[in-house]
Amino acid sequence: MASADAASGPVVTRVDDEGVQVAGGPDLVVDVVFDGRRIWSFWTVRDTVDGLAAWPAMLRRFLSGTTRLGVVEHVSGRVLFEEEVRLGKATGRIAVVDEHGRPLGIDKSNRITTTFDTRDADQTKPLLDSAERVLAALQAAGVDAFPAYGTLLGAVREQDFIGHDSDVDLGYVSRHTHPLDVIRESFRLQRHLREQGFAVDRYSAAAFKVDVREADGGVRGLDVFGGYFLDGQLYLMGEIGTPFEEEWIWPLGTCTLAGRTLPAPAVPERLLEATYGPSWRVPDPAFHFETPRSTHRRLNGWFRGSRVNRNDFDRRYSRLREQVPPLEPSALARHVLAEEGAPGLLVDVGAGRGGDALWFARQGIPVLALDYSHGAANGVRRVAGEEGLPLEIAWMNLHELRSVVAQAARVVRRTGPVVLMAHHLVDCTDQRGIEGLARFARMSLAGGGRLYADFDALLPGEGHVPPGPGWQPRPRDPGRVESILRSSGADIVHSTQLMEAEGSGPRQGSEAARPLARLVAQWRR
Amino acid sequence: MDRVARAVAGDRLDALQSRLEALEAEVQECRQLNIRLAEVTDLVEQLLLPMAARDEEQIAAAVEKYSRTI
Repeated sequence: MASADAASGPVVTRVDDEGVQVAGGPDLVVDVVFDGRRIWSFWTVRDTVDGLAAWPAMLRRFLSGTTRLGVVEHVSGRVLFEEEVRLGKATGRIAVVDEHGRPLGIDKSNRITTTFDTRDADQTKPLLDSAERVLAALQAAGVDAFPAYGTLLGAVREQDFIGHDSDVDLGYVSRHTHPLDVIRESFRLQRHLREQGFAVDRYSAAAFKVDVREADGGVRGLDVFGGYFLDGQLYLMGEIGTPFEEEWIWPLGTCTLAGRTLPAPAVPERLLEATYGPSWRVPDPAFHFETPRSTHRRLNGWFRGSRVNRNDFDRRYSRLREQVPPLEPSALARHVLAEEGAPGLLVDVGAGRGGDALWFARQGIPVLALDYSHGAANGVRRVAGEEGLPLEIAWMNLHELRSVVAQAARVVRRTGPVVLMAHHLVDCTDQRGIEGLARFARMSLAGGGRLYADFDALLPGEGHVPPGPGWQPRPRDPGRVESILRSSGADIVHSTQLMEAEGSGPRQGSEAARPLARLVAQWRR
Repeated sequence: MDRVARAVAGDRLDALQSRLEALEAEVQECRQLNIRLAEVTDLVEQLLLPMAARDEEQIAAAVEKYSRTI
């Protein structure tokens, strides 16, 4: 074993299927290297339990086979361990790559992704081009943006991307001094970027992601974080709240990133210190933010709250979204067709991957499939296009009033009877989401029509069900759901509970043994 | 330290803790109004003007564009 001298720092005592076992201090950040390529980094004390740095969950599926495994101190380059190691049962070389063979690593945010250290200039050029385009578009829309977070850190410290980083972060500081105006400005910026053809996905009311397709086909996100000054404090999504001078931001200066000259805060070192602490000049590929609770509370209260369960759904759909879901419709879809025949428009709210929507459209029924997870129904979108089906897939977030009102305005303008369907939506959102559904239904059914909803019901006397992943239905009290709908002006015309047929909802197998509530509501005109 | 504080302040500590939690919740409720109000303002700004013009094509175009760009 090629371990370091115990007196000079931590030693690696074992590497196996559980993880990397280290002993001794001090707390140092180390890189774990497979066949010469960095895969993961951790702090030898902070990130270990009884000396064990367990393999991250997202890495485990790759860990079967052999590799030349190194553990290297990140800052000094000192090798703590280097051996041929076999993990799992396979005999081939371990390859941590995506489905296209692109090398993956764990980035600073603990995501497994293609990090910059595996990308050459040809591959980062389109990203730099896109960053410049987005910076220019933001400037045209009225804000002076600059590289922020890890991108600014790389530019100032190394004049390049940081190897263990994976995305480009941009930031801007609004000239507004009230969160209301900062939010309105962010909406305006998003509109401007959408009109320029950029795909934009909102994180919060003051931050969003702009997707850019690169040369190798991968889609890489540029995060745009909004900020503002309030009473001598700079607040910047998503981690910063600190005393700050306006002269440290404006007028903007410049920095150099991979040979390009880009805008920068007037004194970038001040922003980096506010972001990463006084030791920002020392590389740390496993950096964790320790944002004060008061800053989190402020940023949460002002800007966050619209992504309820969204990350869980995005993760669930990430590998499925290009596939066509099973062709069997849900029991609710069959029930709707039996009760309503062929309406003028069927709106599937919370359509997910779009299986039911496709089933209706194949029967010639015009369908609007709405969901807040971008691209969840890409497979169905493709098939519907090929088959020329009357199916529109659009985005709506029940927690964003603007999208609810705008989509409802589109629906209510259609002629002919409208039917809304919400299959396992009520049990996959929170009370505000149900209120959003009620608002959408009330507005879109202003010309008549009904809402059909089904959801897992709490058993009599059952008060609490331990939460699972956000995409998994969380049983609800049917009486409570009815009450929310009634308070928005609904009449409940039908309410029943039945045992869900296996496989008809997101829960399958033995977990399906729970009553399924089915509600039909209409709104007074 | 906790034990000493409890011996001196007794139930008042619990009452203060409870008031603090309630105040924090109320502060968050106020902060959250910013998003609601900003959304309404944005809707009014973007959709009210075409509506006021009473031009059917303009209204349809405004609704479509608004949905597309949020």
